Amino acid sequence: MRITRAGAAVSALAAGALLLSACTSPAQNDEADGNTSPTAATVEPTGSCKPDLGGVETADGNISYSVGEAEFLGYNSNTPETYSTYNTAVTDRLIGGFWYWGVDGSVCRDEAFGTYEAISEDPLQVRYTIADDATWSDGTPITYADFLLDWAAQAITTDGTVTTDGSETALFNHISGLTLGDYVPEGPKADSADAKSFQYDYERVYADWEIQISGPFPAHVVAEQAGVSTEQLVEAIHNLDMSVLQPAAEFWNTGWLSQTPGELPDPALVPVSGPYTFKEGGWVAGQSITLTANENYWGTPAATRELTFRFAPADTHVQALQNGDLDVIEPQATVDTVAQLEAIGSSITITTGQTLTWEHLDFNFGAGPFADSLPLREAFAYCVPRQEIVDNLIKPVDDSAEVMNAREVFPFQDGYDEVVEAAYDGRYDQVDLDQAKAKFEEAGATAPVQVRIGYSAPNPRRAEEVASIKASCDQVGFEVQDVGSADFFDTVLPNGDYEVALFAWAGSGQIASGQNIYSSTGTQNYGKYSDAEVDAAWETLASSADPEVHTEQVKIIEKKLWDTLYGIPLFAHPGVAAYSSTLQNVRDSAAQSGAVWNAEQWSRAS
Amino acid sequence: MLKFILRRVAVSAVVLLAASFLMFVLTINSGDPLKDLRESNATNKQQLIDARIAFMGLDLPWYERYWNWLKGVGGCFTGQCDLGVTANNVDVLSLTTQAAGATLRLVTLATLLAIVVGVALGILTAIRQYSGFDYSVTFGAFLFFSLPVFWAAVLLKEYGAIRYNDWIATGQYQPVTILVSAAVLGFVLQAVLGGDRRRRLLTAGGTFAFVTVVMFVLNALDWYRNPMFGAGMVLLVSAGAGVVVTALVTGFGNRRVLYGALTTAVVGVVAYFVFAPVLLDPSWLSLIGLFLLAVVVSLGIGYAWGGYARRQAMLVTLVTGVLTSLAVVFDILVAHWSSFLGLKSRPISTIGAATPNFTGGFWESVLDMGAQILLPTVLLTLISVASYSRYTRSSMLEVMGQDYVRTARAKGLSERAVITKHAFRNALIPITTIVAFDFAGLIGGAVITERVFGWKGMGALFADGLNHVDPAPVMAFFLVTGVAAVLMNLVADIIYASLDPRIRR
Repeated sequence: MRITRAGAAVSALAAGALLLSACTSPAQNDEADGNTSPTAATVEPTGSCKPDLGGVETADGNISYSVGEAEFLGYNSNTPETYSTYNTAVTDRLIGGFWYWGVDGSVCRDEAFGTYEAISEDPLQVRYTIADDATWSDGTPITYADFLLDWAAQAITTDGTVTTDGSETALFNHISGLTLGDYVPEGPKADSADAKSFQYDYERVYADWEIQISGPFPAHVVAEQAGVSTEQLVEAIHNLDMSVLQPAAEFWNTGWLSQTPGELPDPALVPVSGPYTFKEGGWVAGQSITLTANENYWGTPAATRELTFRFAPADTHVQALQNGDLDVIEPQATVDTVAQLEAIGSSITITTGQTLTWEHLDFNFGAGPFADSLPLREAFAYCVPRQEIVDNLIKPVDDSAEVMNAREVFPFQDGYDEVVEAAYDGRYDQVDLDQAKAKFEEAGATAPVQVRIGYSAPNPRRAEEVASIKASCDQVGFEVQDVGSADFFDTVLPNGDYEVALFAWAGSGQIASGQNIYSSTGTQNYGKYSDAEVDAAWETLASSADPEVHTEQVKIIEKKLWDTLYGIPLFAHPGVAAYSSTLQNVRDSAAQSGAVWNAEQWSRAS
Repeated sequence: MLKFILRRVAVSAVVLLAASFLMFVLTINSGDPLKDLRESNATNKQQLIDARIAFMGLDLPWYERYWNWLKGVGGCFTGQCDLGVTANNVDVLSLTTQAAGATLRLVTLATLLAIVVGVALGILTAIRQYSGFDYSVTFGAFLFFSLPVFWAAVLLKEYGAIRYNDWIATGQYQPVTILVSAAVLGFVLQAVLGGDRRRRLLTAGGTFAFVTVVMFVLNALDWYRNPMFGAGMVLLVSAGAGVVVTALVTGFGNRRVLYGALTTAVVGVVAYFVFAPVLLDPSWLSLIGLFLLAVVVSLGIGYAWGGYARRQAMLVTLVTGVLTSLAVVFDILVAHWSSFLGLKSRPISTIGAATPNFTGGFWESVLDMGAQILLPTVLLTLISVASYSRYTRSSMLEVMGQDYVRTARAKGLSERAVITKHAFRNALIPITTIVAFDFAGLIGGAVITERVFGWKGMGALFADGLNHVDPAPVMAFFLVTGVAAVLMNLVADIIYASLDPRIRR
């Protein structure tokens, strides 16, 4: 009885509540609706550069991407304080240039910006021509003046002179120091300040000339801030007039930095030459910065109007992608993340591949048992299970992973097979314990030979690598010790407290950067390796601008490094990118910039 | 009293100074600020290292670096604060202001909720000591207290954000889900309310039937995607709140108080219609103004109805007025939900404090911020509720065993009066200290919560600074948290004195 009555009361209450809720309150209003817009075509990419998408029309919409939690630092990514992959991910969208990095780390020319050509290889002379319609977003043409300032920022010292050897204190706080001024003390030459064409005459041949000159900052803004006209600034650079150069450098060093997060610079100060520009009110401190398509861009316009960079830590990316908070992510390339991504299903697309960072074992030639004994190094190379390491640790992340057999070229680059064929016969591909023992005896070593393998800890993957090396090499007579520590780069490596160093070099894309690592006097030759033939080959390579000479010398160097066993290359680090399956034209890149390299081509299928 | 406060402040200043010195020295010795450059293979590596040494002053002796920092902070007293710049040349003062703002937004709501829920749970479990409800809450408290935050956050994102967003696309509950949730709610409610077997059965059955019917009807109305609340419901909720508040504070003996509370609810709803144009397109300023007006009017109603129990009546109408305002805001938000869904089809985000480039009106933006703050707030609340409820429970139990509570019962006071008047007030005293300290601690930022939800608060400031062995942001973090700790300590002492008359003497 009571229950029935209670039930009736409940129903009455529920009905009453619904009745009451049916009363409209003042706050009822209409729904908003979205709209659709045209999208760019998909083009299957061939080669390592950006494919031509045809007639692209900028579609309304927003694509969201994250490099990591680092805050945007400012328009000028070229100061040592602001230079980072986080900041260049944004500024590379703003500043166009003569070339960009392709997906395999090769140089791709951007013909829309301009063309260049080495008119003479020795002495090296390069002719640059800026496209006629290339202009800053404020309407000022991009001219010789911009490139002259670009040179000045890498050439002039605080004493008001052009650098003589690149070691003086620079007037401009440029990340590249005074290297360019060292190679080209005369600077670029042109007929007038507003010339569209100019020429670089190198004092001595520079193998990496191509990547020296890219996209400049707007000289007319610097001139205005220094209180002179662009012509006067050009004059001042030619005459090294410090009364103009001082304030110009002052502005260059500080005026383009955003010291208060969230406050965009005055639009008049930051004209752009790329497909994107800052969106007004698009920067929220600690949260995100949004770029919007540059209306005045003369080249192929951005496929999607807005591009948002969110400052989110890498470990939040996978779920954010699944929830649609991010559209493109590059999470840490681990087995766990790949499994997590695969579990999401078809709403996202995963790409894996190799990157331009490669892992290697380097012997210590300064001291220890390996220093003077080639047979002992060979014995060690025979027992290092390279294939096993790649199969167990890298393949689960990236199917295409393979053992790397070269140092200056990567497996996914053109010319890798050619170089490897010339330099290496495949003898260390498989573990050969008998050979290793024979070499061990030939070296006259008595077991156990202590081998301390140092690396920068904590790093679980490297700890596992050391463990598999230990399992294999201890059978030969080595006694492998894991001496990974947090101060590896700080103290262990410079002091030489190791027999074998395990670390990775990030490929710079430069042709001659290896000279620092492998030549006797190189500043990054931590293991104190020295070989006259290698030194000479690097000398030849670095002082030539001819790609064929480069390939020939690389073959010589690689062969010698294998024969004398500088160290043992292991593998190129795997990379993972994932993106919402509604996006088109997303393509991961092996270069440091990562997937964002072609962001202006991303578009959303409607 | 003033002398006491001044002495405390002076001592605290000395402690802060000494601690800042220790903190600075520890920070600059905590690692290698050149680590990333040492691993670099740039051709001009040495130049870059030299540049950073000069920029960060790494070549100066430690006492000189500390002195430089202290000079900058000293400027704060003359209005020229200089907290330095980070290794990335970002101004630390503005960074700190933004971080403190973000953290305050994140933790204020969570702390308030945790206090209300925690204290309520603590009292309920103390009253129903050793009941099934008590055991369940105790179990839950220990479970949540020991939750690893990063793991709980991942789960919350999976179920609270991703799965919820998938579900809201259709917004229909399955019949099984409805029956199960109704059964669970019925079970929980009977455990809380207690009584003999018949009464428990009745409570559970009634709740089950009510929830089932409501949820089916809401399904039919597509309520979760196009919800409405309505002025009628606002009136019902405010009136109900008035009744409950009256019951808790004075009981129904004095009808004038009850009438005061009901009048407040009615006036509130009428005001809702009167001020609708302002309310539907407000600014924060006009909202605050209206809220203050609501407070004044509520107090006025209490004053007019009060009679001999004027103070109590005013308290009741004030609380009712505030709750009515909240009900009105809730109604407005509910009405904007469907247009918010139109702007953002996946409402709950896993990262960030606001949707980038969100284009809605005022209330849609409020909903957006609310949707973003929801998950971290739930997480922070769950964790702090655990400790609050435990403290309140033990403190309440202790007080309930005191002689004066027995005396109060013996002289024939109602159980309500015993608990709210005699037990609860005294049980609050030790809680105050904990709340004050907790709040100071929370301003320090919930490092992990901030990180997993992509907020840039004080925790991130501290962690980033320490990672780069960059003293400026770490010291800024220390300044804010240190000063907050000192201030909150002081506040706790003052509140203590006002709650406990024995201390004032």
